[in-house]
Amino acid sequence: MKRLLIALCAFLFVTGSVMAEPQRAGQALTVRTFTFKHKEADKAAAAIKSLLSANGSVTIQPSTNALVVTDHAENLKAIAKTLTDFDVAAQPFRLQVRIVAASRAPGGARVPANLQDIKEWLTVLPYQSFEKLGDADMQGKEGEPGLVDMASGYRAGFKFGDYDPASDSIKISDLQISKVQNDQMTSLLKTSLNLRIGQTYVLGAARSPESKRALMIVLVARR
Amino acid sequence: MISCQTYRASLTAGTRDAALLEHLRTCDACLDFSVEVDPDNFFRSIGGSDLVPPGGVDAFVGDVMRAVQVRGKETSMAAHHPLSWRQRLAIAATVAAGVTGATIFWQHERQPSAPVAAPIARAAVVPAPAKVLATKPIVETYSRNATIVEVPSEGKVNVVMIFDEKLPADL
Repeated sequence: MKRLLIALCAFLFVTGSVMAEPQRAGQALTVRTFTFKHKEADKAAAAIKSLLSANGSVTIQPSTNALVVTDHAENLKAIAKTLTDFDVAAQPFRLQVRIVAASRAPGGARVPANLQDIKEWLTVLPYQSFEKLGDADMQGKEGEPGLVDMASGYRAGFKFGDYDPASDSIKISDLQISKVQNDQMTSLLKTSLNLRIGQTYVLGAARSPESKRALMIVLVARR
Repeated sequence: MISCQTYRASLTAGTRDAALLEHLRTCDACLDFSVEVDPDNFFRSIGGSDLVPPGGVDAFVGDVMRAVQVRGKETSMAAHHPLSWRQRLAIAATVAAGVTGATIFWQHERQPSAPVAAPIARAAVVPAPAKVLATKPIVETYSRNATIVEVPSEGKVNVVMIFDEKLPADL
């Protein structure tokens, strides 16, 4: 009787321990400090924001340019990987810019030969006539500015922002499209964009959805 | 009066022999022996044959028999367990082992496979899952108040329209 009871208690204790151990290991929070050489800690915090669990937290230490991250061990592995990829020296990128004038016209869409590669995106808009006004292919590193004047009188100025490995995208900061009008440079629009590497984006600008004319800025960021 | 030896040799249960009953009433030494032979002899020793219990002999006997039956049933029910305590303990231990075993198995199945335990051959066969990229808005900021419309095409957003009343008409 006694032996049977002891054996039963030992069995329940062992199985209870086996069940409880992984649960504790998975739920425990771990704290790690990441110090950055090339990037700013606040930008790194933004890069890992989507990776944090509900129990995770981040503290920025500006004096040491470091992040103190608290999260589950499994999450911290992914966060560490992302931060390692993030904290690299400024990388070179290319930005291809094309400016296209779009207008409403009777009949079907007429896309010229030099815009055929982006026909599928241009034709989702309610415009039928397209004309390429200029293009440029600029290179630069993260943090560097870019400026190009096109023969048609348009100017594109911007700054290569930070590359975000989590979304495989680069930020194009302060993209300003200007146009020479009456010998003066007039700013048309100013915006900041997130462009996924290798994807083509068409940024259209018009006064209203009913406008007869629109300006299309076609952008592709590449490494 | 007959001797004790003769009495003990002749006494039988339920006897009605007058000589034996007389000895029973008068001899205290033989009382224990007499009751052992027949418990009713106790009553006979005190002249029980002449006493009538309240309600009559039949009612008294009926009450006694009912009490005896009730006690007998209580005893039989208490003793009539289909399983011994050892068997019950064994069943409880088996159920506990089964439940804990099933729980361990269930938890093991729920846990993602540990990288250390993943066999290399399996890793070669199973393709790695595609990296899920975080999504960011294409237009993060715009200098003025405007309506920004993302135009989805085939599940992706590659076209964004900005409608801004302050844009010049001759773009």
